[in-house]
Amino acid sequence: MNKKDKILIFLVDDDALFLKSLAIEFSQFEDFEIQTFPTGELCIKNLTENPAVIILDYHLNGVDLNAIDGIETLDAIKLFNALIPVIMLSSQDKIDVAINCMHHRAFDYVVKSETAFIRLQQIIENIFHYQKIEKQLGWYMERM
Amino acid sequence: METIKCELLDNCENIIISKSAFQYARSLIEASLDPLVTISTKGKITDMNEALTKITGKTRKELTGTDFSEYFTDPKKARKVYKEVFAKGFVENYPLTIRDHKLTNVLFNGSVYKDVEGNVLGAVVVARDITEQNRIEKELILAKVAAELAQEIAEKAKFIAESATQIAENAVKAKQQFLSNMSHEIRTPMNAIIGFTKVVLKTELSVKQKEYVNAIKMSGDALIVLINDILDLAKVDAGKMTFEQIPFKLSVSLAAMLHLFEPKIQEKNLILRREYDERIPDVLVGDPVRLHQIILNLVSNAVKFTTDGQITVSVKLLREDEKNVSIEFAVTDTGIGIAEEKIEQVFENFQQAYSGSSRLYGGTGLGLAIVKQLVEPQGGSVSVESELGVGSTFSFILPFKKTDKKVELSPDIVELDEEMTNIKVLVVEDMALNQLLMRTLLDDFGFECDIAANGKVAIEKLQVKQFDIILMDLQMPEMNGFEATDYIRKTMKIDIPIIALTADVTTVDFAKCRAIGMNDYITKPVDEKVLYTKIVALVKKAQSSNGIETLETDLIQEVKCIDLEYLIKRTKSNPKLMAEMIALYLEQTPPLIEAMKKSFNDKDWILLYASVHKMIPSFSIMGISTDFEDIAKKIQEYASTQQFSDGISQMVLQLESICVQACRELEIELNKIKNNE
Repeated sequence: MNKKDKILIFLVDDDALFLKSLAIEFSQFEDFEIQTFPTGELCIKNLTENPAVIILDYHLNGVDLNAIDGIETLDAIKLFNALIPVIMLSSQDKIDVAINCMHHRAFDYVVKSETAFIRLQQIIENIFHYQKIEKQLGWYMERM
Repeated sequence: METIKCELLDNCENIIISKSAFQYARSLIEASLDPLVTISTKGKITDMNEALTKITGKTRKELTGTDFSEYFTDPKKARKVYKEVFAKGFVENYPLTIRDHKLTNVLFNGSVYKDVEGNVLGAVVVARDITEQNRIEKELILAKVAAELAQEIAEKAKFIAESATQIAENAVKAKQQFLSNMSHEIRTPMNAIIGFTKVVLKTELSVKQKEYVNAIKMSGDALIVLINDILDLAKVDAGKMTFEQIPFKLSVSLAAMLHLFEPKIQEKNLILRREYDERIPDVLVGDPVRLHQIILNLVSNAVKFTTDGQITVSVKLLREDEKNVSIEFAVTDTGIGIAEEKIEQVFENFQQAYSGSSRLYGGTGLGLAIVKQLVEPQGGSVSVESELGVGSTFSFILPFKKTDKKVELSPDIVELDEEMTNIKVLVVEDMALNQLLMRTLLDDFGFECDIAANGKVAIEKLQVKQFDIILMDLQMPEMNGFEATDYIRKTMKIDIPIIALTADVTTVDFAKCRAIGMNDYITKPVDEKVLYTKIVALVKKAQSSNGIETLETDLIQEVKCIDLEYLIKRTKSNPKLMAEMIALYLEQTPPLIEAMKKSFNDKDWILLYASVHKMIPSFSIMGISTDFEDIAKKIQEYASTQQFSDGISQMVLQLESICVQACRELEIELNKIKNNE
């Protein structure tokens, strides 16, 4: 499979350890090409590369308090291109956090845990499934 | 003389002949059905036949001398006809409409007639009535158009019918899928609702509260019955209803079932009579669960619709040969009965004999539909006899196989055993709702219950605490039930009884469960009584067989705080990736510990929150016990609510020490990996 066919995924997290572990897990799948960013700012700068999916930490300004947080990054991504699906990650298993993410048009919300990767995988599959359905719908709508 | 005479005679004869010839011609003209008219060169009518007088409705006298063109709807056109006749000498098939009482359409054919010298005297015109012709022509066209239309419609109808069939088929499939999905989806939360309601009922409640909670429970029970009914029907529709072939004792089965109705029957002051044919073989092969369901439906109907009198349940042996028996079951009541014209409908879905009866007697009208669907696929038949106001008899005939086998007595319903109340149960289950359910059920039994979200957590718990029995879900993330059991049996060498829990009966491979060291299995949704019986039986067995050994398992191994299993699995034992991960941890963690300590001392709650927050994911990556993750989460909570508590400093210390220990151990691992390279 050549590089062009791969699905480009952005991983954004200021927790280097978790970022690395996710990157390792994704790297085991041939169809994904992974780019990691420790800050939201860097992620936004590279949006022109047109990632298929962005996985974004909710709490991005944990260490550097002046950095922009996940929601701000999310808004900036949606401003750039509202169609890029963004999956939010957080170690907080809190409903308000999840709702907040959804209000800012995140595609889904995943709690950082051992099963996070499996969940992410399923969600990414879902994203492509939805995109396919939407494409089909568009096709039919055009013909109606 | 003779000749003159003869000539005269001849002339006379000729005259006579010509006169008769004229008369003959005249009669022919008069007999014609087509109107015939002679007109003068001026266009006046000079002579006509009978047909013209008929069609115009005027006498010959009236007609003679009038203007020919007056008798047509379009006189101008009529004048053209006679002009044409006199100009060309003839006219052919000229269409006109006679102004008669019905506006007859005619075609004109005519020619002039001349005298001996060749002077034109007038014209003879024949009008052929083409009304009939026109009508036939019109009808033909109409018929043709109609035929074409009909064909088109037929094609359309065929197309519509085909697509409708398709839609209907899809709809039926979708409905079945929906019903079956919804029933499953509804059942899960309903189990929790009923379960917790039961728990609430056991607490101290005021009379009013008890009344309300009871109402919730009764509604919940009713809803579950309905959902089960729907699910059953969906299963039947989808062809998924399967029937077991297991040996069972009919008499025992029947008695147990009727026992269920005794309170209700006493309450309504009815009499329950049983007639049991003693010739029926003791043990039969069939599906006792479905039989229960059928009888349950029929008897509960009988009880529901009978206010006074008796209910008779009779079981008769109809036929018996070497291998098979046919048994007729009948439930007779003295209830409201069913009108004759309604009898046909009662076995249909959502039908009750009277539209009002569901309001009066409750129920969904699904019961009898289910009975029919349960009996017929088994090769049986149902029938009903009823008289309005007198009562009804519902009967069904079912075939069973005979057998020599003995029935394995299912464990009788065990009353709560007073001695067996302090059983420590470890429930390994990933779904939060199922965890709650199991906790509910076990609380009901008075057992102590601990929950582990997956096999790995269960093993950790087993290392620090002693349990009497494990209930192990098979499908779990991280470490499934098989892996966990294998680890417990082979690596930890613990003999604790393990019961497998599984949601899907069809895919469960019990042989595999046994082979891996599980003692028994229970299918979800969990039946309270089965659960209790199996737990008690296994625990009793275990206690009696190794009463002394249990003391020794108290020894807890000194364990490392880290566990690289997760990392190994995730990196597929890639030493480079592992080294990278460990190096990252070693790089990231010490500053975090510092930040945590400093922010705690400075009471900088925001920084404390942030640093602890960032630590959390690393625990599971490095396989550090989730207890510490919980501690970190607690600190986080304190930090975010800024509630100072004495425990918090203790917890910060605990986190620090575990992280320091982890760093130390990881450094050793990192060195090991580097040396191996």
